Amino acid sequence: MNKFFNIKVDAKSALPIYEQVKRSIKLAIFSGRLEDGDQVRSIRELSLKLRINPNTIIKVYSQLEAEGFLISRPGAGYFVKLDRKKMQREKHGLFEELTTEYVAKMLELGYSMDELIHEIRKYGRNSSFEKNLKEFESAGY
Amino acid sequence: MAETLLLKRILRSSRVLATRDLSFSYGKHSVFKNFNLDVPEGQVCLITGINGVGKSTLLRLIAGVLKPASGKIVFSERLAKSPKRKIGFISDMLSLYESLTVAQGIDFHKDIYGLHQIDDSLIRHTKIGYSQKIKELSLGQRTIYHLSLILSLEPEILLIDEVIHSIDAYLRKLFLDQLIQLMSQRRITVVMVNLNFRDIEHLVERVILLKSGEIAVDEEIHSLKAKVKKIISTRPPTCLSVLSQNNFSDHAEFYVYPFSEALRDDIEGEIVDLDLTEIVAAFIGGEYA
Repeated sequence: MNKFFNIKVDAKSALPIYEQVKRSIKLAIFSGRLEDGDQVRSIRELSLKLRINPNTIIKVYSQLEAEGFLISRPGAGYFVKLDRKKMQREKHGLFEELTTEYVAKMLELGYSMDELIHEIRKYGRNSSFEKNLKEFESAGY
Repeated sequence: MAETLLLKRILRSSRVLATRDLSFSYGKHSVFKNFNLDVPEGQVCLITGINGVGKSTLLRLIAGVLKPASGKIVFSERLAKSPKRKIGFISDMLSLYESLTVAQGIDFHKDIYGLHQIDDSLIRHTKIGYSQKIKELSLGQRTIYHLSLILSLEPEILLIDEVIHSIDAYLRKLFLDQLIQLMSQRRITVVMVNLNFRDIEHLVERVILLKSGEIAVDEEIHSLKAKVKKIISTRPPTCLSVLSQNNFSDHAEFYVYPFSEALRDDIEGEIVDLDLTEIVAAFIGGEYA
């Protein structure tokens, strides 16, 4: 899998920039793009790449360290630390969050729960959908 | 190693500069009266407000280019010994020994400050010729040239007047890359005056809006974003004060402040998040209304 993933920073989002970057890095860890022991970009490099304040990156890395997803090795940088239990828990939280968002939107559009479940089942059997999903992922989203 | 040091320095950041009861006027026109502002070390602070409110004047007072009528500017102990040298002021209004060539200008700068050499890699990235006269440089080239001289003195405070958005996209990128590099190497404090925020939006940590010589808004960027919203509705929200509005045939967009999440359910209409440009436009638009 490609380790070079895109981090999108949305200036119009109410979600603070550090939360957006943090979330992208977590997603990269959860999806396996970043593996246990992988070194993440230096503060300098990531801030130049995203053109955001280095203090923001410091905040992201130290919070991820406090949450147990990164460890810092003085003089070397920050590395991914994979705690599968913790990852499962957070991943599930994300799953619930995105599902809630999707279901709420569809209910607002007037679809019933039965229709939603039917639609999702259909996608599960549809291999072209999986292919599309793979392309979508490899495009760096 | 450098990164751990940086982190340690952030944890014990203290005030690097402050204005104390600063007053200043141009003739009879008072710009500041008993103006107080504190800037902690390492912060990137944006000063904004309508034209003529005194943004550039404030920078020039801090830089020591203008003298206050009363009050004073206090620097941290470390800076107080040689504030002039440790404060870099970048502005398009400064005279830079115009009749010298770039090479002579660099030598002169080295002589004054007793430097053996200066890093001219930034200058080499541009099309500046060393035999060109300084007065012949474009605004963007002047800015890069001036920045190189300033950085050679390892400033602790950078004051940046509205120059960065009047220079071309390549030189602006060069300038901002240099700024980001510098910020990731050490705790540099930046106070900038700006009206155009697309490039610098994610560098800014604190926004100060000046109004009639006073601080009207002083917020950290994420709290500002949480508090200023656009509401699309047929009538103004009853529970919030409206900064400015855009009217359309059948509805209006109301820019409100201070919004809080607790009010979300009571508000009629769609609530839209904003970027810094829109937020500042909402405040400034309100002043012209």
